[in-house]
Amino acid sequence: MQLETDAIRVENLSVNYSIVAESPLDQKRKFYNKSTRKTEIKALDDISFSIPSGQIVGLIGGNGAGKSTLLKTMIGVLKPSKGRIDLWGRPHLLSPGMGFNRLLSGRENVVLGGLAAGMTLSEIKEKQDSIIEFADIGGFIDLPMTTYSSGMFGRLSFAVATYNRPEILLIDEALSAGDAAFKERAVQRLKDLCDSAISIVVVSHSSTLIAEMATEAIWLHRGKIKLQGEVQSVTDEYLKFQAEGNETAQLDQR
Amino acid sequence: MSTQSSPKITRRATRSGLPQLSNYFSEAWRFRTFAWRWSLADVKARNFETFLGRIWHIINPLLFGLIYFIFVGIIAGGGVGSISFLGAIVGNLYAFLFFNMIVTMAIATVQSGAGGVLGQSSIPRIVVPIASTITSMNLFLRSLVAYALMHIISQRGLHIEMLLAPIVVILICMFGFGFALICATLNVYIRDVSRLIPHFLRLWMYLSPVIWEYTRITGGGTLNQLARFNPWYSAMTAWTISLGGTLDPDGPKIWEQIGIFSIWSVAIFFVGIFLFISKEDEFAIRN
Repeated sequence: MQLETDAIRVENLSVNYSIVAESPLDQKRKFYNKSTRKTEIKALDDISFSIPSGQIVGLIGGNGAGKSTLLKTMIGVLKPSKGRIDLWGRPHLLSPGMGFNRLLSGRENVVLGGLAAGMTLSEIKEKQDSIIEFADIGGFIDLPMTTYSSGMFGRLSFAVATYNRPEILLIDEALSAGDAAFKERAVQRLKDLCDSAISIVVVSHSSTLIAEMATEAIWLHRGKIKLQGEVQSVTDEYLKFQAEGNETAQLDQR
Repeated sequence: MSTQSSPKITRRATRSGLPQLSNYFSEAWRFRTFAWRWSLADVKARNFETFLGRIWHIINPLLFGLIYFIFVGIIAGGGVGSISFLGAIVGNLYAFLFFNMIVTMAIATVQSGAGGVLGQSSIPRIVVPIASTITSMNLFLRSLVAYALMHIISQRGLHIEMLLAPIVVILICMFGFGFALICATLNVYIRDVSRLIPHFLRLWMYLSPVIWEYTRITGGGTLNQLARFNPWYSAMTAWTISLGGTLDPDGPKIWEQIGIFSIWSVAIFFVGIFLFISKEDEFAIRN
């Protein structure tokens, strides 16, 4: 009998925050007046959904739709203004190069990145060879990361994050690095992780990538859920919406 | 059929304030190896592209000491005759520089987001200033090699009070860490703090017995009393005596100064920690 339990449950979540932005240049002001103004951002507006464990869910939407805000709220960097998120596992955001020191070698950064991702030294030691093999960057592994191309950087980051085996993996555009062959291996790696009941949320502007990886998709638009369901139907609707020229960057202000 | 257990983590709308401290510190403790390794990597990367490499960790403080040695001893008229005093100045400068490093590095790493650690992960934010403080301690301990050379040249000798020097170092570290957390938190709200701090620290150094003897303000009078209220008066007096013995047998005693500075250090340490932790959930938005 299949037991289906939630890995993530989001209930009536709203996230608002204020940022300090430059005042418009054409605004006349005296020299002692502040050149900045506080702007309230309504990034997520009363959204609810749940993700069963062991599923890959794609998160799509234009710039400013609230995708990254949602992931950052899940990992606890941002705080809900209203509502709640319940997580049945420790989330990890795959963030390219988190904890890395670019002046050091890739091998040294595998240790730093692994520790930043919550692994222990013995776990890193055990998995180091597999991580390096998966990243497949050859002799560059012992060179400073300042010599790496963005593709190499992304491959090593991805390898470190996915060998950590987080309970909930959140990916924000981190698959855009690397060539086609690496992307194929990366997608396979994520599918393998899902087989061991890890839940994955992938944010990407590429609806093709989302359609290839995910089973379900959530389309965010201006902080609200516009559509949610089977991946192909959601991405089709999203592409149609884009083709009609409706999708532009949004900055909702209160 | 569904058998849903209670969630492992819940994020909900709460007011800013202190998190559950036991959870917070156990989570911070989980990243202790990361803080240590990250700090070592930072020290290693500092002189990575230079020809002399790690030797710079010794050359830097030696040159710094030499410049002040020339400035105070010759240009400002301190007199090279009092070579022991000049050795004391160099020792004091290293101690103040240690404090200066803790503060400026903590502000800089928190402001920069520490390579995504602050904005892209759920690692407790305090791990970042802890790592930068370990870096400062590492660099300070290396500078003591340069000081040992100065100590021999300036014939400051060996004293029983030297055994108390590690206590003063620990107290400076606690005071610096707490002060750094206060400044790093304020800097998240008011960016001008990071601009102001270098000037403030320089002024603080000149107002403290770092490049002048603590015996100058041992007398009575409101101004002298006010000057002795400065935490760095106690710190520098204790440090100077611990390295070179007392300058005035009837003047301040080392234990008394360590006691006063302990009160300052413990107070600033805890105020800094609680202020930082209670405000850190706003860092991602404001940084």
